Amino acid sequence: MSDYLIEVKNLCKSFGDLKVLNNVNLGVKEGERLAIIGGSGCGKSVFLRSLELLEKPDSGQIFIDNQEITAKNADINKIRLNMGMVYQKFNLFSHMDVLDNLCLAPVKLLGVAREDAESSALEWLDRVGLTSKIHEMPGNLSGGQQQRIAICRCLMMRPKVLLFDEPTSALDPTMVGEVLAMIRMLTKRNMTMLIVTHEMNFAREVANKVLFFADHGIYEQGTPDEIFDAPKREKTIAFIRKLKYFNYEILSRNFDLLEMQGQLRSFTEKYGIERKLANRLELCAEELIYEVLNGCYKNIKNININMEISYSEADGATLIKLASGGNKFNPFEAELEALDEEHLGVTILKNIAKSINYIYENNKNYIDIVL
Amino acid sequence: MQLNEILYKILIQGGSYLTILKGLNATIRISLFALLFGTLLGAVICAFRMSSYKILNIPAKLYILVLRGSPVLMLLMLMYYGIFARSSLEAETIAVITFALNTAAHIAELLRSAISAADYGQYEAARTLGFSAFQAFKLITLPQIIHIAKPVYQSNIINLIQWTSVVGYVSITDLTRVINNIASRTMQPMAAIIIGMLIYLALAYIVHGLFALSDILKFKKRV
Repeated sequence: MSDYLIEVKNLCKSFGDLKVLNNVNLGVKEGERLAIIGGSGCGKSVFLRSLELLEKPDSGQIFIDNQEITAKNADINKIRLNMGMVYQKFNLFSHMDVLDNLCLAPVKLLGVAREDAESSALEWLDRVGLTSKIHEMPGNLSGGQQQRIAICRCLMMRPKVLLFDEPTSALDPTMVGEVLAMIRMLTKRNMTMLIVTHEMNFAREVANKVLFFADHGIYEQGTPDEIFDAPKREKTIAFIRKLKYFNYEILSRNFDLLEMQGQLRSFTEKYGIERKLANRLELCAEELIYEVLNGCYKNIKNININMEISYSEADGATLIKLASGGNKFNPFEAELEALDEEHLGVTILKNIAKSINYIYENNKNYIDIVL
Repeated sequence: MQLNEILYKILIQGGSYLTILKGLNATIRISLFALLFGTLLGAVICAFRMSSYKILNIPAKLYILVLRGSPVLMLLMLMYYGIFARSSLEAETIAVITFALNTAAHIAELLRSAISAADYGQYEAARTLGFSAFQAFKLITLPQIIHIAKPVYQSNIINLIQWTSVVGYVSITDLTRVINNIASRTMQPMAAIIIGMLIYLALAYIVHGLFALSDILKFKKRV
């Protein structure tokens, strides 16, 4: 017997050749509230659905309240009574009114008398302010109302843990608040919850533990402060700071400058980078490339320059990283002697960059410029 | 000739209305049994068609392809003059079998489209509440399938009734055959055939009415 409410051991799941989860381990104690975050397709939803066995794991074990749901002879229906699952698309029973939606499972599965079920349904609807909708059909309700009722439907079963699979992703922005408020209310009741979400502020406020999913599993975990303020690993940092990357490779002296500028322009437009900064980026990229071509690759034919631009949607920080072979050459030092027309770019770069860093390592020149 | 005279000749003279009723009875009987067996068989074929086993779904696909793609009269003739030619089965039984086989193909496709249109998410929600696969199907998916399939099912029934009008080819005295006989006996084809059509139209409206009634009852139960 462990004191975990949910325990996952070595969970693996692939869809055909696509590996989604690899060796995931997790223990959730009673009263813990986990926010699960990560990019699209990182397996966070699959992980949550695996707990309910909606996705059948390839290997590994899952224990719910010390009962193994992955065991061959497990009574899955009975173990599922311990959990409630809230879906992105609400999934209310569309042919039943609100009251029937709430009462169906307790009456049929827990043997609760219909009158008792109805009165507890009314209590829950009262708490979320939806008493007047008791005989409405789900199709006549707004998304936010449907989702709150879907949560009530789970709560009617008195589950030990609630699983939320992106509960607000299908809602329009005006309705997100009412659903989040309801989940907040549940935190006060010390409900154990696992929430897959894209609402970072909400995750930070509600969760007492955050899991960041990447690379087929839990990439980094910690308290909300640790994950949101001081993420340690590379992908977490990129995700939290909403880093967007632009990559361009140059293999010839006669590279297509216009193509690069076009791609860079659509990158800046895509992420709404303001015009002034975008112009600077374009200018810096171009000047830097020509400096390197004329410096590092002086009299060398085979050219290999890799430029990466990262932009943080969170704070607007912009970084140009350039890696290049060829001779050891730092354009920012070589430039000291003359300030002529040809090296105008370097002067501009020096003026607008917040910081410039140059390293020569393993026969490669690395230049980092923070804008 | 006066209109009432014509009507008298067609409907009353020599107990004409009794023959019409007998014909109508045959039409309804064949349709009803064909519908009953056709629906059951259709459900089975649909299950085969949706199975992931090739040994089940390929024959089902073939069945649907052939039966939906060929005229039911051809099938009826094949059954009557071919397959069951030497058997002692009554013509009406052969007609019921034929129409059941044909209807089954249509019902199977109807059910398949209704099942694919039903919301799988709601089934999942029922499963995660703790319902077994069977309970979730019975309580959540089935009512929705019925709701989706109902209008098309209704028009399938009306089509079936109309298609049974060809059973006269295999010596069954159904409504169409009776009307045809009266038309030649009274020498009033125009009037007789219009009356026959009106009776078919009435049947269609009765089917329509029954479905409407079931909707009203369901709605009342809810309110």
